[in-house]
Amino acid sequence: MDFNEVEAGEGVRLAWNAWPSSRIEATRMVVPFGVICNPVAALPEVPLLPYEPILCKGCRGVLNPYCRIDLDARIWVCQFCFQRNHFPPSYNGMSATNMPRELFPNSGVVEYVMSSQGGGGGGYMSPSGRTAAAGGGGFGIGMFGSTTPPGFLFVVDTCVTEEDLAGLKNAIKQLLGTMPETALVGLVSYGTMVQVHELGYADCPKSYVFRGDKAVSPQQVQEYLGLVNKQVRGGGGPGSGRGGGLGRFLAPVSEFEFSLTNALDELQPNSFSVEPGHRPQRATGAALAVAAGLMEGCLPNVGSRIMLFVAGPTTVGPGLIVDTDMGKSIRTHQDLVNDRAPHHKKACKFYTQLSSQMVANSHVLDIFACSLDQVGLAEAKIAVESTGGILVMAETFDSDQFKKSLQKLFMRDEEGHLKMFFNASVEVMTTREVKVCGAIGPCSSLHKKGVSVSETEIGIGGTSAWKLCTLNSKTAIAFYFEVVNAHSNPIPAGTAFFIQFVTQYQHGSGQTRLRVCTIARRWCDGGQVQDLAAGFDQEAAAVVMARLAVYKTEHEEVFDILRWLDRMLIRVASKFGDYQKEDPASFRLSSNFSLYPQFMFHLRRSQFLQVFNNTPDETAFYRLMLNREAVVGSLIMIQPTLFNYSFDGPPVPVLLDVSSIGPDRILVFDSYFYVVVHYGSTIAQWRKLGYQNDPQHENFRKLLEAPKADAEALLSERIPLPRLVECDQHGSQARFLLAKLNPSVTHNTDQYGGNSEVIFTDDVSLQVFIDHLQRLAVQS
Amino acid sequence: ESAVDPGMLPRPLDSPDDVKSTGTMNCNPRYLRLSTNAMPNSHSLVARWHLPLGAVVHPLAEAPPGEEVPVVNFVGSSIVRCRRCRAYINPYVMFTDGGRRWRCNVCVLLNEVPIEYFCSLDENGRRRDADERPELSCGSVEFVAQTEYMVRPPMPPVYFFLIDVSISAVKSGMLKVAAETIKATLDKLPGFPRTQIGFLTFDSMLHFYNLKSSLMQPQMMVVADLDDPFLPLPDDLLVNLSESRVVVDALLDSLPSLFEKNISIESALGPALKATFMIMSQLGGKLLVFQSTLPSLGVGRLKLRGDDPRIYGTEKEYLLRGSEEQFYKHMAADFSKYQIGVNIYAFGDRYTDLASLGTLAKYTGGQVCYYPGFQAYLHGEKFSYELARDLSRETAWEAVMRIRCGKGIRFSSFHGHFMLRSSDLMALPAVDCDKAFSMQLTLEDTLLTTNTVYFQVALLYTSSTGERRIRVHTMATPVVSDLGEMYRAADVGAIASIMSRLGVDKSMQSKLEDARQTTQQRLHRSLREYRNMFAVQHRTSNRLLFPESLRLLPLYTLAICKNLALRGGYGDTTPDERSAMGFEIMTMSISRLLKLLYPAFFRIDEFLLQGGKGETDFMMGLPKPVPLASERLDPRGAFLLNDGLRFVLWLGKVLPDEFVKQILGPEFAYSPDLSKVALQEHDSILSKRLVAMLRELRKMNPAVYQQCILLRQGEQPREGNLVLGNLVEDQTGGLSGYA
Ligand SMILES: [Zn+2]
Ligand SMILES: [Zn+2]
Repeated sequence: MDFNEVEAGEGVRLAWNAWPSSRIEATRMVVPFGVICNPVAALPEVPLLPYEPILCKGCRGVLNPYCRIDLDARIWVCQFCFQRNHFPPSYNGMSATNMPRELFPNSGVVEYVMSSQGGGGGGYMSPSGRTAAAGGGGFGIGMFGSTTPPGFLFVVDTCVTEEDLAGLKNAIKQLLGTMPETALVGLVSYGTMVQVHELGYADCPKSYVFRGDKAVSPQQVQEYLGLVNKQVRGGGGPGSGRGGGLGRFLAPVSEFEFSLTNALDELQPNSFSVEPGHRPQRATGAALAVAAGLMEGCLPNVGSRIMLFVAGPTTVGPGLIVDTDMGKSIRTHQDLVNDRAPHHKKACKFYTQLSSQMVANSHVLDIFACSLDQVGLAEAKIAVESTGGILVMAETFDSDQFKKSLQKLFMRDEEGHLKMFFNASVEVMTTREVKVCGAIGPCSSLHKKGVSVSETEIGIGGTSAWKLCTLNSKTAIAFYFEVVNAHSNPIPAGTAFFIQFVTQYQHGSGQTRLRVCTIARRWCDGGQVQDLAAGFDQEAAAVVMARLAVYKTEHEEVFDILRWLDRMLIRVASKFGDYQKEDPASFRLSSNFSLYPQFMFHLRRSQFLQVFNNTPDETAFYRLMLNREAVVGSLIMIQPTLFNYSFDGPPVPVLLDVSSIGPDRILVFDSYFYVVVHYGSTIAQWRKLGYQNDPQHENFRKLLEAPKADAEALLSERIPLPRLVECDQHGSQARFLLAKLNPSVTHNTDQYGGNSEVIFTDDVSLQVFIDHLQRLAVQS
Repeated sequence: ESAVDPGMLPRPLDSPDDVKSTGTMNCNPRYLRLSTNAMPNSHSLVARWHLPLGAVVHPLAEAPPGEEVPVVNFVGSSIVRCRRCRAYINPYVMFTDGGRRWRCNVCVLLNEVPIEYFCSLDENGRRRDADERPELSCGSVEFVAQTEYMVRPPMPPVYFFLIDVSISAVKSGMLKVAAETIKATLDKLPGFPRTQIGFLTFDSMLHFYNLKSSLMQPQMMVVADLDDPFLPLPDDLLVNLSESRVVVDALLDSLPSLFEKNISIESALGPALKATFMIMSQLGGKLLVFQSTLPSLGVGRLKLRGDDPRIYGTEKEYLLRGSEEQFYKHMAADFSKYQIGVNIYAFGDRYTDLASLGTLAKYTGGQVCYYPGFQAYLHGEKFSYELARDLSRETAWEAVMRIRCGKGIRFSSFHGHFMLRSSDLMALPAVDCDKAFSMQLTLEDTLLTTNTVYFQVALLYTSSTGERRIRVHTMATPVVSDLGEMYRAADVGAIASIMSRLGVDKSMQSKLEDARQTTQQRLHRSLREYRNMFAVQHRTSNRLLFPESLRLLPLYTLAICKNLALRGGYGDTTPDERSAMGFEIMTMSISRLLKLLYPAFFRIDEFLLQGGKGETDFMMGLPKPVPLASERLDPRGAFLLNDGLRFVLWLGKVLPDEFVKQILGPEFAYSPDLSKVALQEHDSILSKRLVAMLRELRKMNPAVYQQCILLRQGEQPREGNLVLGNLVEDQTGGLSGYA
């Protein structure tokens, strides 16, 4: 089974592609039944159907090619609840030779265009238990239809230098020129105070100002901004004054480009004085609270983004992470572990609240942190993650990394539509014997209870539907399942089970679409280890484990998680390895397990679980990124790739090992976040001497060009942009590479001597790790 | 006994208030007047005097050209002052020891003459340089103060405008007139190029304006948090006018249109004041508040309390005339402490509780300008003139004033707009030529033994040019032991001024009726005292017994009781108009007060018809004023009442149509209600003459703009309020007539 191929067809990858049919056997599989799902993956052959789907009247599952059809009786049977459903009259013309598109055998994934009545996120599967937001959604449909363009609220930190602010202004102005004309835009700026710019006010620049050191409720924000009438407050509901904000604070780019550009031009660095020995007063939390209140007042339940551009730590008001006094330093991991970060918990609580407010309104938080200091991402992460926003970390607003990441976010498809989608929900339907335990990814629970919801929670559980305020074709969610079939109720091996992912979202075109992905896999007899093993996707499994491990860091000590990972790996090895008991040398793993220990080795060493040398902000960033990437990208994060470029032929992958470095080699290293082009000492010397400019050394010029071009290609695929590092062997920048290489040669074990690099580390090498594993696996 | 001939009663018809200067050693009476120029030497004398014993000080009174106060600069040495009582050197000090020492005239201490100030004496013991030195020859001088008189560098002139932009402020045209006037006056603000300026507008929210000089246009910043107002910017809310001129001009140009469509009826004055205080407290300065409605939101919100008729006549009546909210008193105290003087411009067409709002002006040396029912077409010119004068007149900044006097007497109570900082130091954050103060004297226990007692007023202030200055007025007064002399030396103007202020003060603590009674009692007691004194000589005569100096006092006393501030009860005027009048009286100069008490009243129809001598010199033939009695009104005539605050043009019922048509224009000639009609110049000779006449009359009274109110005979209740009520000689409203 080629899992990549399956993924290209379905947009999903399963750690296990054959599941044991009884609960007891299922619990012995060690690696959970995880599915990495790209809900709206860019698949080549997904038909776009201009009508609405047929739903099962029992469970609201969607008609799919795996359903049993009785053409004569015009009946179809739901494979989730076994309800017999009549086809509607419009399907009367259906026959064996004239089947509707969604019943073609290759229609495991189809997409429907919903009528606007179903739009706004409250339509197809109106999630229960969300009355407030659902009410808002209803409003949105009535007033706007599903075609309300998204809003983009720029929240700009002015505690920056003049130059940096200029860089930021330019970036936003440039962006305005490339955004769809209909997109709604607005501006909030802040430093000590928070300013909401009333861009629709023609007579002079006008803004509403809020204190930065005070928390304001969304109601207060709306009242102060005149979005609700004070006299009728409470009677009008959350959206009663909503029309008032459009045209004043938010309006289409075509209408506001001029005034927004002017407002940006007039923006000055925060003018409140900074005492010597103090940090500037930066009210990021208050600014976000105001921004969220504004958006709730203007665009309730209209998929929109609050884009924060921040240049340093929050030092006043809600979300504060450090006092202005420079004598106090910003919390480190050590401080967090030792409970010496006095503001951390309060800030996290603030962002948790903010995040639920934003999720309820389908608003996304993006953070562009351009700062040498930490800005408080560790605290704010929850709001970014649960709304699906992006995080960009760069050093300045003038950097390519920042500017290009911002531009890429607004990429368009061939028809000119934004490639970002909004206001999505994913619902999971399962065969009776399967229940869903939870999801891990940039989503939040819609609290939909039902028969397919497991009592065991993994990740965000207790629901069969999740909300994604935004997503794109690459967004991947990890779903976790369990088998609940009693051992006493055998299912014939080879029988299929089904999982259906139903994703409703607002497409860049403004259409509300429904993607239905139905997958079928086989039950297996738990005793047939070989059959089960054959269905093992070690790459998907590694990612399923990685997400789980990272999820655990929120509540557990890293040390315990590493022990847990080790235990799990040993159990996998002893269950699926081939060996003689008590004989480590006899240990073998079949090919579809062979890389798994390596993945785990690198995961253990990765920045996701090792926090030394990283700030809490960096760690938050890395973990957030891992949590949304599909299998291939995630694996690069866990185990970076290393390619060798030489005169001898096309680039070849080489071991991620210190021994791969050589004086006449150019290495391209990709850890997803960093792309390092590393020149061996000889190459570096030639380059310095300018051989590449000499027509006689045409080959050398080409050799230099290839890795650069490939590195640039890697950069162009990702948001945020990875950091590109070019370095020479022995140069200081080379540390970005060395830190990730397997320490086969360290200062402790200099067995090769001579030419090789030596890594100063006490980490064990992969070989030592594998040796240990084999020894432990074969113990009974 | 035969009736008095009313025609013979004394009236100030042909001799306006004209007090002669008593030599150059004394200051001119325009600056300082005592209620009597003979000080009693004992308590018993004071007890028999009955009238107020005190002074009226008008420290910055405008002087005619050539009579300006000379400026003295002691370059390189300190200002010479008495070591003990800190009196300033003045023409009355005595030099001894060949000029090496001088004796203080106020406290008689012998002081050393500083070496650098030494000058030998002539044979009469007079310094040889006395004539060259204004401080030794003039009763009024102005010293340039050195750094020892500064607690901080002299402040620049600061003008801050706090403007109501709620719907009534916009609809009435107030905002437009204010913005246009301020803009037109910017070049006349004193203190260029140091002058600073700032603006804050408000309705249910506060609007701040960033006026940073590098901007092309102002940035408006709205703060809606009324519970906790704060400044949205650390700087640039108050800016240097010359540097930010372009931005200020742009703001004033756009201000009316910014709020053109405002529909807010709310007024968050209190929070706006708090925010203003934060902006101004660093420098101090002058705060001009433009208020069009009753403050309704936030701290300092006020209630509709003034129009409750049930309170009148009860023990609580006086409460209506004081501040309801402690907020305004506290705010005023803060303003005073930080050198902020507040002027209130009020425009409401309904109750705005001027009594409370005016508190701000009362304790900060400011004034209250009230334009009830403001409409730009009717009152715009008046408002514009008065605002422009307020902005352009010379102003003394961060001032304190003290009046010293010789041993044995002291000033014990003060009446006017100021805050007392210690027992006798008046804090005046911003004071100008239109403010007068009064104070009363008390004798100490000991008898006054000297023949002369000296008074010295010292006003320490910062000039608009940034100089610290001390203006000193010195006056010598003889001490007497005879009541008759006191009476003969009495100054009826000063007495009337103090009595009216006492009356207004009294009305703040008791019923109007009581205030009137107390005022009248003073007159009656002193009359009785005087009659007793001269009973023997005048037994046969039935003439009113009063010395020449006080012959007008009965008339003025009657007028005080009939003044808007004290007149009648509920229904005779609105509480706001009564308050406004009270505030006026508390700051008025003596001459303006006397004009108010006994307005000029004359017939003008014949004058206008005859005045064919051209338009320049026809003022020469202005008709003689007539007594303020309704019997003088002739339905065939047109009468003008001039009380120094406004003109009222009364048109008789049977005036020829042609006359009325020319004056009012054909459009309004037959209009039954002239309350909404503005007097305009029409293309007719009578109209042109009338307008020219009013223009000339206005020139004589620059402190205010006298709007001309039109009135037709029989137009009630306007006729009663505007004319008949001011005919003080009539018997009206339970008060006796003059006869
Ligand atoms: Zn079903
Ligand atoms: Zn003395």
